[in-house]
Amino acid sequence: MYEEQKIHKIYDETASLIVDLSLRHRISHHEMHFLLNLLDQAVVKGRCPELMEALKKWEPDHLDPESNEIIKATLLALDMQDQEVLKNTAGLIEDLVREGDN
Amino acid sequence: MSLPVKSSSKEDYLFDLESERRVLSSMLHSEDACIEAYNALSASDFYSPRHANLFELTCSIYEREIRPTYVELLKEAHTLGLFSNPRDIEELKYISEHYIEDENILYWIKRVKDKSKLRRFEGFLRRNQQLLTENPDREVEETLLLAEEELTNLTALDHDDHIDTPEELAHLGYEEVERRFLRFKEIQEEHKGVIPLDGLPTGFDNLNHITLGYKPGDLIILGAQTGHGKTAFALHTAKAVAVDNGRNLLYLNTEMSRQQIALRWASILAGIDHDLIRKGDITETELSKVLNAYSRLRVSGFYSYPCPNLTPEKTISLARKFKAQKNIEMMIIDYIGRMDKMDPRLAEWQLLEQIVKTQKILAQNLGIAVLCLVQLNPDGSLQGAKRMKNECDLMLKLSPLDPEDLETDENLKKYHNPNYALYIEKNRDGVSGKRIPIVFDLQKQTMKDADRRG
Repeated sequence: MYEEQKIHKIYDETASLIVDLSLRHRISHHEMHFLLNLLDQAVVKGRCPELMEALKKWEPDHLDPESNEIIKATLLALDMQDQEVLKNTAGLIEDLVREGDN
Repeated sequence: MSLPVKSSSKEDYLFDLESERRVLSSMLHSEDACIEAYNALSASDFYSPRHANLFELTCSIYEREIRPTYVELLKEAHTLGLFSNPRDIEELKYISEHYIEDENILYWIKRVKDKSKLRRFEGFLRRNQQLLTENPDREVEETLLLAEEELTNLTALDHDDHIDTPEELAHLGYEEVERRFLRFKEIQEEHKGVIPLDGLPTGFDNLNHITLGYKPGDLIILGAQTGHGKTAFALHTAKAVAVDNGRNLLYLNTEMSRQQIALRWASILAGIDHDLIRKGDITETELSKVLNAYSRLRVSGFYSYPCPNLTPEKTISLARKFKAQKNIEMMIIDYIGRMDKMDPRLAEWQLLEQIVKTQKILAQNLGIAVLCLVQLNPDGSLQGAKRMKNECDLMLKLSPLDPEDLETDENLKKYHNPNYALYIEKNRDGVSGKRIPIVFDLQKQTMKDADRRG
């Protein structure tokens, strides 16, 4: 399979999995929307690499519950169209992760 | 994975679900493919209702200027409550995984479109078979005409909306300029300054000079008042194209019989008064001249179809048939005011507008020149003229010259005995607003350029 089609397949399967989780009530409607938008940003639109990098560093097990809640609430309220907001959010997550590491 | 697909039956040839899935999948993975499919297909082209719904949903996202990705489709379908259980997601994923290479989208679109046409054709056959079974006493001619019109609509006027890329346009532009440059050189060197035509001869040197001939795809409209030479102009054009130059041409006449058309040629080609020919009041020498004249017609490219109940749909079907069978380069409709209305609610001007639009698309699709004759009002105006003018490439008016004009107009004084003029109302490729003086011999039904004095 060509590289591009492999990416399409991973993208399709991930998107389907997200909606499937929502239909099975394993994630909320808001969570589903956020994850789908994030997937589109990462694979199709290729926007805001800073946010992707920050999310890779976020390991909820290493953070206190309060910081995790702040990150989650910020992400669910995120406007993916606003590049400035995306950058600021990436900065906030980086800061919280750094604080948790210290 | 096997998903809901109609089981194999004798009607399998009527649909191609794989092609439908491939088109939908590529719409979700490539914006270019989405645009192609959006422009070329409609929901009714899909056999599977599920596929048709997904196509409509994808198009509705695209129409809101959102790129219709798989994620956007899932979100939209979820919001509209179209997914109620995980099986729906599985089905959509199955469709989405029919990946294709972007450059193959037109191939898959064509497959979907072809099956859609085939289904409409099958429906057409079924309906007509049912009609025959249920109404065996129905007028055969009427049945055939209706069937022909419906069939024509199935195949005709499938306009190719090709958008030129900057590269294509630049290439085309250079080719055109180079062609003209070479032609100009040829004129200088070989033709001693006489411009060779780009299209078919018009039958008038002055009109040839201005238009460079009737070109493939051109719609030409000629207006004249009743009794002022519409048919004479049509047959003069036919003579230039089909008799003098042996090019194939289809002539549709809505008011004359076969005999009347055949008789007209005797006057035109033998140069004998039409009245004398009609009465049979000719000498034996003249009869042999007539025989000789018809021998020219016999080997010409003139195909005639007298048709009192001509409709726009019928012109399409005839033009396509003669293009395929005889490779016609021109069609003349004499005249469009006499065409039958398919929709009685249409006003006269609406009908004319509809006919003219149809003929322009037909001319372009078949690559032929179409000449439509229209009747001018007694004051020389034309109903719906503005709309017709917009559609056509060349608009001419044929009218008698005012004797006063002949005495006072300095330009007309330069010519020997002109009695009519061709006025160029519109010329897409060149100058307009010019008046070409001609000599119209009403007795012999012939026309020619008026000779210049001196």
